[in-house]
Amino acid sequence: MEPVEQQIRSDASVTESSPENSSTAANAGVVRPERRRKPRTWETPPAPVPPTRLDDYKSIVGQAEIDELKFLARDLKGKTAKMVNSTAVGGGVAEMLNQLVPLLNEMEVNTHWDVITGGNDFFEVTKAFHNALQGSDYNLTQHARDIFMMHNEQNRQRIQFNEDFIVIHDPQPAALISARQESQAHQRWVWRCHIDLSSPNPEVWEFLRPFVEKYDAAIFSSQSFARQLPIHQYMFYPCIDPLSEKNKDVDDDYVQQVCDEFGIDRSRPIVTQVSRFDRAKDPVGVVQAFKQARKYVDCQLVLAGGGASDDPEGAAVLKEVKDAVGDDPDIIILDLPPWCALQINALQRASTIIVQKSIREGFGLTVTEALWKGKPTIAGAVGGIPNQIIHKLTGALVHSVDGCAYQIRYLLTHPDFARQLGQNGHEHVKENFLMSTNVRRWLLLLRILQASGTN
Amino acid sequence: MTTTATAPNLTRIPVKPFYFNTSAHLLRITRQKANTLSEFLAALRDCPEGSIFQHSFRTLQEHHFIREGFSNDFAHWAVSACNEPSLAEGLASVDVREFTSVAELRERFVQIVETFLQRNPGSATRPARETFYFCSSESVVIPTSFVAGSLQEFAAGLRGVTVHCIHHHFIEARLRLKLMSNDFSQWLYEDMGLTEAARQLNRIDIYTITLEDVRNQIVRIVERALI
Repeated sequence: MEPVEQQIRSDASVTESSPENSSTAANAGVVRPERRRKPRTWETPPAPVPPTRLDDYKSIVGQAEIDELKFLARDLKGKTAKMVNSTAVGGGVAEMLNQLVPLLNEMEVNTHWDVITGGNDFFEVTKAFHNALQGSDYNLTQHARDIFMMHNEQNRQRIQFNEDFIVIHDPQPAALISARQESQAHQRWVWRCHIDLSSPNPEVWEFLRPFVEKYDAAIFSSQSFARQLPIHQYMFYPCIDPLSEKNKDVDDDYVQQVCDEFGIDRSRPIVTQVSRFDRAKDPVGVVQAFKQARKYVDCQLVLAGGGASDDPEGAAVLKEVKDAVGDDPDIIILDLPPWCALQINALQRASTIIVQKSIREGFGLTVTEALWKGKPTIAGAVGGIPNQIIHKLTGALVHSVDGCAYQIRYLLTHPDFARQLGQNGHEHVKENFLMSTNVRRWLLLLRILQASGTN
Repeated sequence: MTTTATAPNLTRIPVKPFYFNTSAHLLRITRQKANTLSEFLAALRDCPEGSIFQHSFRTLQEHHFIREGFSNDFAHWAVSACNEPSLAEGLASVDVREFTSVAELRERFVQIVETFLQRNPGSATRPARETFYFCSSESVVIPTSFVAGSLQEFAAGLRGVTVHCIHHHFIEARLRLKLMSNDFSQWLYEDMGLTEAARQLNRIDIYTITLEDVRNQIVRIVERALI
């Protein structure tokens, strides 16, 4: 059987397959040019989803939780806030702000979102800073400092900072703190750092630190990402939106349809890893662990990801994965376009076990997604994953291919224990990693900052 | 306490109504952290009281859905990062309900770690697999829409509130009350005269069941008192 990823590509601009084969991607390469076929679920980008409203979460977290959020917002009514980041689309921060800003506005915390501008030179420098702050080698030149400062200064002049609360996201706009004025003593500035600063390049961190120290508070995504700073540091876990395409409930008919299209047999156990084709996610290690486990238990492996078509490194990793897979008919590789959130959702829901065998990780939102769907989850003990997976209570943490293989075998052969892990994991996400919890944290922080000043 | 209830509890009017509140907490990262058990002991002695509260009382709330195997963050770290199961057992056996002040609770944790390190000096400086980061929390008390002016309304409130409200009144309360009791028992005893129900609530084991189970047990006791 040909790997599905290749079949999907060969099928990308063609017509309907023969009726007897039309339900499986495995046979999608059979084409009849004379008839247009119906596009498969992954081929058409979905229509934009309208922003969610607070009451939409009622069915998930309950009326009492919604009431609590409204109470927390009461003292902030009429206050103004500004969020500043470096991109309006793409990436987790923009995705989160797209949901958070309307919800804060709905609760009458008037929140505005500004995106900084900059040339290629600026974003090349900040990309290098981003990598260096997460531990990569980097030689910080005076030229890079000048570019960083020049673009921050241009944005400082362009953006008005009159709100009660100013929240600057990530290092790119960190120097905007220079816009703070003594005449606005009531104003509170927060630096929200979404990246891992546990072992930063010292030169870049020492360059940024004086800016960060001028804020009133900093927020990190994990305790281990924080630095020793003279300002208060808070922990906000990243979150998922339970109403998004990626996480909302989907009916089983749709799950079946997606599995049929991708040639996945739901009558056999399905082990899935969803992630970019990136060495940090160790997809080759997942293949090795799966092959070890399958000696003892019947199962299939689905590696669903993206990024191989527009990223040379991703393409190289995909090739390594294919080499490791060989002609194994039980391993299905899916290189999906970025709009396939609903299909990923269905794949996760179809899975018996979900694996995220990362060897480096930020927070690991794919783990959060898996836990939310009540799936027994096996994941590498790196980055923010141990915040989500408490070993043997909300999932299984692993440190090696052998460990991963053992946990696959164990969970597939102990379904009651696996089910309990899945249930606990779901509750853990409901408690800590949902958008509604994120809104609660923001309201609490703004209240605390307000009480600390004269707002 | 002796039982004095004679009138039908269903129609009994409390001295004052019970107002159900809850609390929201924001996690703060402190300066203390530990990579070995000796560093852990030093940090346990020096950390703010808010950290002791966070890693014992609060963590029980954060993991309210786990039925077994999780007691507090200290015990979890001792076994998962330090591989010291006997220390973990000692730390896990600390029942927060036996303490009416965080200072006493801190003393108990310090004593357990000190005793362990005296007996196992070789464990003091062995690097842990993961760092323990001391956090603390800042809290805001939030009123709910539930108020009980009768036992029936009390039972309805118990069924309707979040488990965080249950934690606030049933577990955290002793730090406010400075009593080996909880808000629910105090109200049942002082305002409703239901001594036995108040006593039964204090016998619920919060470490072997989920907070949802705790709620159900409280409701059952109150419902029995209604008859």
